[in-house]
Amino acid sequence: MQQTTEGQLSPRLRSMLEEMQKSLREEAAIPLAIFNDEELHQAEMEIIFAKQWIFVGHESEIPNKGDYVLRHIGNDPFVLVRTEDGDIKVLFDACPHRGARICRAEKGNSSHFRCIYHGWTFKNDGELVGAPGYNNGYSGMDKKDWGLIPAPRVENFHGFIFASLAQEGPTLREALGGMAWYLEMIFTMQKCGMEVLGEPQHWIINANWKQASENFSGDDYHLLYLHKSTYDVGVMPVPLMENMMGYHVKPGMGHGLSFSIDIESNDPIYWFFPPEIVETFDGLKEMTPEQQRLARGARVVVGTIFPNTSFLLLPLSPDPGNVPPTPLFTWRVWRPLSPGKLEVINWFFMYKNTPAEFKAQSFRAGVSTFGAAGHFEMDDAVPWVEIARNAASVFGKKNLKLNYKMGFNGIGVSKPVKDWPFPGEAWYPRYEEGNQRYFYQHYLNIMLGGQ
Amino acid sequence: MDWLKRFQIYQECVEFLNHEADLLDQHRYAEWEELLTEDIVYQVPIRLTREKEAETEFSSVAFHMNEDRGSIKLRVKRSQTDFNFAEDPKTRTRHFVTNFRLDAYDGQTEEAHVRTNLLLFRQQFDEMEQLLVSAERRDVLRKVNGQWKLAKRVVYFDHTTIPLPNLAIFF
Repeated sequence: MQQTTEGQLSPRLRSMLEEMQKSLREEAAIPLAIFNDEELHQAEMEIIFAKQWIFVGHESEIPNKGDYVLRHIGNDPFVLVRTEDGDIKVLFDACPHRGARICRAEKGNSSHFRCIYHGWTFKNDGELVGAPGYNNGYSGMDKKDWGLIPAPRVENFHGFIFASLAQEGPTLREALGGMAWYLEMIFTMQKCGMEVLGEPQHWIINANWKQASENFSGDDYHLLYLHKSTYDVGVMPVPLMENMMGYHVKPGMGHGLSFSIDIESNDPIYWFFPPEIVETFDGLKEMTPEQQRLARGARVVVGTIFPNTSFLLLPLSPDPGNVPPTPLFTWRVWRPLSPGKLEVINWFFMYKNTPAEFKAQSFRAGVSTFGAAGHFEMDDAVPWVEIARNAASVFGKKNLKLNYKMGFNGIGVSKPVKDWPFPGEAWYPRYEEGNQRYFYQHYLNIMLGGQ
Repeated sequence: MDWLKRFQIYQECVEFLNHEADLLDQHRYAEWEELLTEDIVYQVPIRLTREKEAETEFSSVAFHMNEDRGSIKLRVKRSQTDFNFAEDPKTRTRHFVTNFRLDAYDGQTEEAHVRTNLLLFRQQFDEMEQLLVSAERRDVLRKVNGQWKLAKRVVYFDHTTIPLPNLAIFF
């Protein structure tokens, strides 16, 4: 049987990644080079983005039959569509005749998709239904073989739709590992779940996608300096040193979570949702006692779902002097355009059964703090861009092994939490970079083929 | 409205918008803020490519920026801290404001509805790439105690994916 060469590493890449594996394990060091390498990027596109579960969209973005949005899995274009039967499909945006695109908008509604080249026409579930002069041109051909190609595996996790371009592999739940438990707790606080607030934002940052993923997986340390202005002007309500007193969780499968929680006092916090909203959280009583306990004490949670989805749930205000903080839920995909360029696709979500006014406040709080004009987000991009630039340098690639030592081999005060009552392994306080090291260890497992 | 009056309003609006652009390019944000009314509404709606029959490509509910006087004041305040890294070093910007159109003037409220095209150059530090963004701005200018002020601005980008790393400036 012929061995496929798909996703096989070149000797140079294999050596680079094995070297990285060694320096990560032995010295908590990661080569700068991985943040801007063309060949590595290509390998990531094949090994990670064409195989792993990648977030595509939310069911509330396509509520009505015929609704569709244009999305990307890695950089491969797919249409996320609600069919006439009410099903959700993820279809490759390429006509099987000559490969032109069949989707002509980033967002729309249509019962059919038509290729403009020769007019091949498809129902919105992908089935080929006709083409000009069909009987003359194609009599004897079986239409059934020539529909739009669906993503091999699609799963809907509480409204959040993920797809994998690998024919086989772990299910989404298996790939989420312990992260599924935490996400479920968040997603099901109301039984009816969450809905999207408007359309997502798209903007470009000239940086490598991995910097963004690792930052959201457990970098609270950068708030002390990079985001100092947010505390100085009152947007960040918690003093920054105090903010470090939280938990880093490694819930399995390379994902990362960072929590600020109070699980001792039993005070009802629930991310500071107002009491009248907490009263609508009818999903709480169906959760496990541990999920209930965690939700009750939760103030802030930020995390990354391997490889390139991150999220944040916390209360903030667009104008702290005049507007009280509102909990906001930002969810984003870091699309890996090229080794030194990413596109952010950023959504805001809120529980369906909340007043329109509350959703508007949450949305506004979100847009003012996270997003291309967000008080926090705007500064994040600055070092990431600088890293990509330095990672392109010949000298940098050869000589700079980056320091990921916080919390490694006894460095710093962070310690594993004994008897962490929730899934995964936790460390306290957040003076540690273990979540990032964990992300990269998982990255290496996959890239080197062990996963 | 007789054409002389119309010309006067038009001219005053052009001068106001040119002066406003000047202040922004010089990063004189505190003075720029003084040009806004107390009830200023400043919005940058999200744009996505729609099918050609769609009435508009702009969202009515989703924004990149959705500001009032208070939230703008906060932005100006943050820009004055030592920790506004998105603008450290300050970006070099140039607002090319063109195609001034006075769509309407209400003598009662002294409000002028003005549309302009914006081409914005932006570059930072030692980068060699320059960023250019293009937009239409729909403004409401209001004369308050004899002075023109900006009461409303909606910035309609010609981009769906914004080619900027941040929106740390005003358009």
